[in-house]
Amino acid sequence: MNSTPPVLEVRGISKHYGATVALRDVSFVLNAGEVCGLLGENGAGKSTLVKTLSGVEVPDTGALFLAGSEYRPRDRNDARRQGVATAFQELSLVSTLSVAVNLFLPDPAVNRAGLVAMRQLERQAARILAAHGVSEIDPAALVGDLALGQRQRLEIVRAMFRRPRLLLLDEPTAALSDRDWLFDLVGNRLAEGTAILYISHKLDEIRRLCRRSVILRNGQKVLDRPVAEMSDDEIFRSMAGRSVVERFVAAPSALRADAQPALRASHLSSDGLEDISFTLMAGEILGVAGLEGQGQARLFRSLVGLYPLRSGRIEVASDGRMVRPQRSPRAARAAGVVLVPEERKTEGIFKDLTTIANVSLPAIDHASKLHFLSRRRERALVGQVIGDVDLPEHFLPLSIAALSGGNQQKAVLGRALMARARCLLLFDPTRGVDVGAKQSIYRMMRAFVGGGGAILFYSTELDELVHLCDRCLVLYGNRIVGELQGPALSQELVLSVAAGHGLERAAVSGR
Amino acid sequence: MSAALRRLGRLHPTGGAVVAVVIFLALYAIYAASEADATSVFGLTNLFNNTVVLAIASAGLTLVVLAGEFDLSPIGVIAIANVVMATTSVGTLGWFGALILVLVIGAAVGLLNGWLVATLRLQSLAVTIGTMIACEGAALLLLPAPGGAVNQAIVDALTGEVLEVVPVALVIIAGVLLVWLVLARTRLGIALYAVGTDAMAARLSGLSAERTKLLAFVLAGVAYAFAGFMLSCQTGSGDPRASDTLLLYMYASVAIGGTSLIGGRGGVFGTLFGAGILSVMQKMLFALGAASFYTSIFSGIIMLVAIFIGNASELLARVRRQRVA
Repeated sequence: MNSTPPVLEVRGISKHYGATVALRDVSFVLNAGEVCGLLGENGAGKSTLVKTLSGVEVPDTGALFLAGSEYRPRDRNDARRQGVATAFQELSLVSTLSVAVNLFLPDPAVNRAGLVAMRQLERQAARILAAHGVSEIDPAALVGDLALGQRQRLEIVRAMFRRPRLLLLDEPTAALSDRDWLFDLVGNRLAEGTAILYISHKLDEIRRLCRRSVILRNGQKVLDRPVAEMSDDEIFRSMAGRSVVERFVAAPSALRADAQPALRASHLSSDGLEDISFTLMAGEILGVAGLEGQGQARLFRSLVGLYPLRSGRIEVASDGRMVRPQRSPRAARAAGVVLVPEERKTEGIFKDLTTIANVSLPAIDHASKLHFLSRRRERALVGQVIGDVDLPEHFLPLSIAALSGGNQQKAVLGRALMARARCLLLFDPTRGVDVGAKQSIYRMMRAFVGGGGAILFYSTELDELVHLCDRCLVLYGNRIVGELQGPALSQELVLSVAAGHGLERAAVSGR
Repeated sequence: MSAALRRLGRLHPTGGAVVAVVIFLALYAIYAASEADATSVFGLTNLFNNTVVLAIASAGLTLVVLAGEFDLSPIGVIAIANVVMATTSVGTLGWFGALILVLVIGAAVGLLNGWLVATLRLQSLAVTIGTMIACEGAALLLLPAPGGAVNQAIVDALTGEVLEVVPVALVIIAGVLLVWLVLARTRLGIALYAVGTDAMAARLSGLSAERTKLLAFVLAGVAYAFAGFMLSCQTGSGDPRASDTLLLYMYASVAIGGTSLIGGRGGVFGTLFGAGILSVMQKMLFALGAASFYTSIFSGIIMLVAIFIGNASELLARVRRQRVA
């Protein structure tokens, strides 16, 4: 055994970006047929490590070894040629090209004339996708027309099908709801002797897949041990540098018996939504569960007028009456309904503005005198909300692009509070967010409903729905197929209903 | 049939190109209805001669725009090509030697642009303003005042017809289209779209944005030089200022043809029709007896209409695809 060198050896690598240390003296090994977890909060250096191994970034010091010989990838292609494949968190797919072309980038097969043979490429792509258990993606479709979850599958298949020696999966389930599909593929690759580095925030995935895990904090390796030897608390403590004893602190529901409706949707129908009706009460966290692409994104967008409806009625509480705001994000906002969108990077933040400008945007009218913005007043207004979302004050003057995903999300939530929302629509707000920030978001949500607000909450993480929500709607095939509450609101039952099993049947088999 | 259409759609992933074709045909129909000469060989040759310079230059510009960059240097390159043709094509170099020389100059300017933009990562808008001014200066240095002469052999040959039926200019435009259809299906063609759509994703996919943009600028430079060569054949003489008004019409052709000015969408096919629209419209307005200053107003309106319909049809296509999905 000792005669074969490990597939990957990382020896003392460091990487600086200006004054920020992204990686400091990180070393570990990875053997053939082994899947090793890589845990860490956002900003801990995980992505930098992945980029270094993928040939996108060059480390300042230290060395990498692939099967015993030194490995210095010049670029992505060089890394790929040496058998290192990566499924990136930010999805490295080109939206204006077809699925087939994306699958074979950067060097799709060409015929003798040097032309890319589309038809042949599509046939090949269809075979590869089918071999990886993906049948619902048309190889000729443009990637830009795919749902986020489908894009993630494509990204994963693209990294896997070339049979790499070393496979890097960076948050592969961030937009994926069918995780078993991925776990099966990972199992297959391991059986073939591939070494896999599995980066995730989700501890249950690490526990399920990995025997061993490396934990990074502030760019340094703090732990490298078999997962079974560590308790959840120990892992969270290592990641966060503090104890997160219980992930979900049980809290009494803020929903009062005499609660009034805050938002009522009646018979919403459109392309991709079928007869959706529900009532969201003041003080309630109403969950929405569903596998990817079951209409949840369209539902959230239609509620603020970003997606056209064919028929149906949306009413919002205003001074004790239900009114029907015009269907535009602006009107929705004026009525107190604010959406925190799915794609934080492109829809949530203004990446070229400072953090304070990102938060204060809805309220700058109140901080201006004669149309000139008063920095002092802006600061005071923002100061009222950043405490609620645990956003440290020293981040305010920085560009929001410099913040970690978790802190960016806190700023986005802060902006929603700034807009005096009474009804928050949170679309997967904890996606790609670190453990500490998640706790802050949970706290903020509870405080918000405690103050009489209402939250419609979609999440890909079932445990969040189960622990935070008063009720949970389950979507399947663009319609509501179940509503669970009380003891029936369990992960198993949500999953079963979301997978298309009827509520009654699921309830019976669940007993 | 539908598969073929889908395939065509993939080469030109925009509704704008189809809109440009429709508008072109509509304008040509009006022109043909009001001017008897429009459908004669003479009339067609005249129309395509008026189009060819703009079409070739805009085709080159399209490559740079697809890759997500701007290029203001074409009028500089065209000016140099024009004065070089006017000063060398009659003498020892001959027309073919002069053509090779201007193509090399065009490639060199493109290489310089590409190096500054792709390798040194300077802003293309700023860089190409610089090269445009420098090239125009160089053209004035070579030929301070309009004059010189272009080899009469090419002036006659390239402005006439093949076998007295097919306008040579049309053959050349078709050749440009053919080159594009081949290019679009090469790895470079795919890389152009990828880099223009999302430079980071392209890089993570293993494509080199630097190499792709460099090649786009070089090919564009060659196209501008060739456009300058054709301009020289049209005018028969050199004028360092002859190309000054062309730049905005080039961008108009690209935009009318459905290419997104921020990159990643569109193609040369639409651009060629965009250029065709701009010149057939002038003919049409002239035939209708409209005063020449109306031409600019109509150019602007046509451009707005084309972009409006192009975006609307793109939206429709997306809705249709979503319904299918």
